[in-house]
Amino acid sequence: MVDHAQSNAQANGSIPLTQLTRGQSGRVQIDGAATDEVKMLRAMGLRPNASITMCRLGEPCIISLSGACGGGCRIGLAKEIAGRVMINVESQPDAQTETQPDGQSNG
Amino acid sequence: MPRPKLSRMANPTGELSMSSVDSVQDISNRIIAVLGNPNVGKTTLFNRIAGIRAKTSNFPGTTQDARHAQCCGAMLIDLPGIYSLDLEVSESVVCRQVLDGDLAPTGVEAHVPNAILVVIDATNLMRNMTVVAEAIARRLPMVVAVNMMDLAERQGIHIDLERFGECIGCTVVGCSGKTGEGVDELMQAVESATIPDRSAPTELDAIEAWGDDIYSLVAAARETPVDDRLTDRLDRAFTHPLLGVVTFSVVMTGLFWVIFKLAAIPMDLIDAWFGTLGGWVSGVLPDGPISGLLVDGIIAGIGGTVIFLPQIVLLFFLLALLEGTGYLARASFVIDRVLRPFGMSGHAFVPLLSSHACAIPGIMAARSVPDPKDRLATILVAPFMSCSARIPVYVLLTVILFPDSPGMQAVAFTSCYVIGVLAALFSSLLVRRTILKGPSRPMAMELPSYRLPDLRAAALLTYDRAMMFLRKAGTLIVAISIVLWWLGAYPNTTVSIADTTPEQREVIAAKAQARHSFLGQIGDAIQPVFEPLGYDRQLTIGVLASFAAREVFVSTMAVQVVGSDDAEDDSVLESIANATRDDGTPVFTRATSWSLLVYYILAMLCLPTLVVTAKEAGGWRWAWLQLGWMTLLAYSGALIAYQAVSLLS
Repeated sequence: MVDHAQSNAQANGSIPLTQLTRGQSGRVQIDGAATDEVKMLRAMGLRPNASITMCRLGEPCIISLSGACGGGCRIGLAKEIAGRVMINVESQPDAQTETQPDGQSNG
Repeated sequence: MPRPKLSRMANPTGELSMSSVDSVQDISNRIIAVLGNPNVGKTTLFNRIAGIRAKTSNFPGTTQDARHAQCCGAMLIDLPGIYSLDLEVSESVVCRQVLDGDLAPTGVEAHVPNAILVVIDATNLMRNMTVVAEAIARRLPMVVAVNMMDLAERQGIHIDLERFGECIGCTVVGCSGKTGEGVDELMQAVESATIPDRSAPTELDAIEAWGDDIYSLVAAARETPVDDRLTDRLDRAFTHPLLGVVTFSVVMTGLFWVIFKLAAIPMDLIDAWFGTLGGWVSGVLPDGPISGLLVDGIIAGIGGTVIFLPQIVLLFFLLALLEGTGYLARASFVIDRVLRPFGMSGHAFVPLLSSHACAIPGIMAARSVPDPKDRLATILVAPFMSCSARIPVYVLLTVILFPDSPGMQAVAFTSCYVIGVLAALFSSLLVRRTILKGPSRPMAMELPSYRLPDLRAAALLTYDRAMMFLRKAGTLIVAISIVLWWLGAYPNTTVSIADTTPEQREVIAAKAQARHSFLGQIGDAIQPVFEPLGYDRQLTIGVLASFAAREVFVSTMAVQVVGSDDAEDDSVLESIANATRDDGTPVFTRATSWSLLVYYILAMLCLPTLVVTAKEAGGWRWAWLQLGWMTLLAYSGALIAYQAVSLLS
C-alpha cells in the first residue's frame, strides 16, 4: 500500500488500484508500515482483504467497497493515493461486477 | 419497521455505572460524548435528541465545530466524525482530547466524559467496529446506538442487537435518527450506561479481526447485490473533467442566484423597517446626543448587522440541502483539481464561493475543510473574494472610469472579481510555501449515497448558524458602529450662514461636520499615507470609514461632498463623481479611480470579518496577518495602478 512495498506487491501478482479497469474487482493487499495514510484508509474500510470494485478511473478514482461493510459504500480517492493502494485482481469487468458481502452469516 | 430490540446488559463485573460515577460528581456537570464515523447519521440523531436546544461553539484553540446540548440532565457533546481515534487528523485529536478530559466546547467545563454514546451505521457495521473497539478501550460507561436501522432493513441487512450487545459487553440500541424510532429507548439506556464488561483489542490488525468475528456472528446481509448502476452513472457524470465542471457551475450559479434574488426581499424589508424605526425614534426624541446615539449608532448598527442575516440563513439552508443530497462530496473532487496546485483542497470551494456573498459566512463555512492547514489557508484568503458589500463601490468607480461605455463598465466589473480570485490563489500559494508549509492533503473521502435531503436537519443547522452569527458578530458590529458614529458626530460643529435655504444649510452643516469631526481630523492626519495613491482628505476619510464595512464608502463620500447620504439618488452619484478637492481639482481623476478600485478589490476593509477570522482560525495573530497582508497587497497594487495610469496619461 506504500511506495516501497509496491515492487514487492507487484511480484506477488497485485497491481496498483489505478491499473484496474472499470467494473473490475479485487481485494486490498497491504504490505509495509502502517503510515498515517494507511491507517486512515484502513479505518475508512480499505483494509487487508477488503473486496472492492472499480467504479470510476482517473481523478478522482471511485471505488465501491463491498466486503467490508455489509451494505456497501463508495470511496473517492485522489489519484495520488489510489496509485499507492495495491489490489489482488479477482474478476474481470465483463465478469460479475458486483461482489457479495463477505463474512455474512445468519447470526 | 418492527420496533428495534433493546438489549440491556447485566453488569457481572460490578464495575461502576454512569449513575454511580455521578454520585461522586456534580450531577448537573455530566458529559456524554457522542462518537462515531462520518456519514453514520450522528448529527441527525443528535438533532433528533437535542432539537433546538443544541448550541454551536468552538473547541477552544481549534477550528473544530462543537455542537452540544443540555439533555436528560447531562451535556451531550457531538464530537467530529472520525474513522479512528488513532489518526493524526484534527478531528481525531479533538476527540482524543475530549475523551481524555482535556478539552470541552467553549462554555463547558472539561473533564473525562461520564459516558460515551457510540453511533454506528447499521448498513456499514463492520467498518464502524474500529471506533467501537477504541471506545471500549476507554473503560467508560458506554452505549452503542445502531443507527439507520430502517435503511438496513430496506437493504436486507439484519442485525441481532441482543447478540451484538453480548459480544461487546454493553447496551446496544437500534434506532433511526431520521424517523425517531428507538431514540427514547436510547436515551434511557444512556442514563443507565455501564462500563463494558468485555474488553476489545487495541492493535489495528487485532481490531479488524475482532470486528470481522463479531460481524459474522451478529449480521446477515442479503444475498443479492444492490443495483447501483444509477449511482455509477451519476458519479461518473458529476466527477467528469468537463461535464462535472459544467454541472458544478450550473448548480452553484443557481444557488447564488437564488440567494441574491431571494435575500434581496427580506434585506429590503429589514432596511426599511430599521429606517422607519430610526425615523420614529428621531421624531419622538428631541435632537441631541441621545437621539444621535440611538438612531445613528445603535439602530443603524443593529440594522447593519441584521441585514446580512437573510443571506446567511439562505446560504446555510441551501448548502445543507445540497450536502444532504450527496452531491457536494462529488463536487469537492471536481474543484480539488483546480485548487490543489495552489495549496487548497476541493473542500475550500464552498467557503470561497460563499465569500462572494459575504466573507463572514464564507469563513464560517471553512469549518468543512478537514485539513487544518488547508482550512487556515482558506480562511486567510476568503476575504479576497469580491463580496456584495464591494458592489456599490465597484459600481461607482466603473461608472466614473467609463461614463459612456456600458460594455467597458461590465468588463471592468468582471475584472474586479477575477483580480480578487487571482489574489486569493496567489496568497494561498505563498502562505502554503511559507508559514503553512506542507503538501495539501490529497482527498480520500467517503461518497455518501444519493438521497433526498433532510429538511429538519437543514433547518436546525441554519437556525444554529444564524444565532451564532447574531451572538458573535452582532455584538461587535454594533459596538463598532457606535464608535464610528461618535467619531463622526463629535466634536459638534455649528455653522451659521445667512441667506441660504434650510436644505443648503443642512448640506453645508453636514460637510462642515464631516470635516471637523474626530473622523475628519484623523483623515487629515492620515492623508499623507494615502498621498502616493492619489487620495485627498475626503477619500482618506471614506477609506477609513470603510473599515467598519465597505459599503459605508459611498455614503461617507456622499456626506462629505453632498451633505446627504442618499446614494440611491443618481444626482448624488453624479455629484460624487464630480467632487472637487480643497484646491478645486477633481477628486476622481482617472488615476485615482483606478487606484481606488484596486485598493477596494484587495484591501481588508471589514472589521467584522477580521473578528470572525480570529474566532474561526483560533487566534488574533491570523486576523492580524490577514489584515497586514491584504493591506500591503492593496497598497502596493493601488500605488502601481496610480503611478502607471498617471504616467500613461
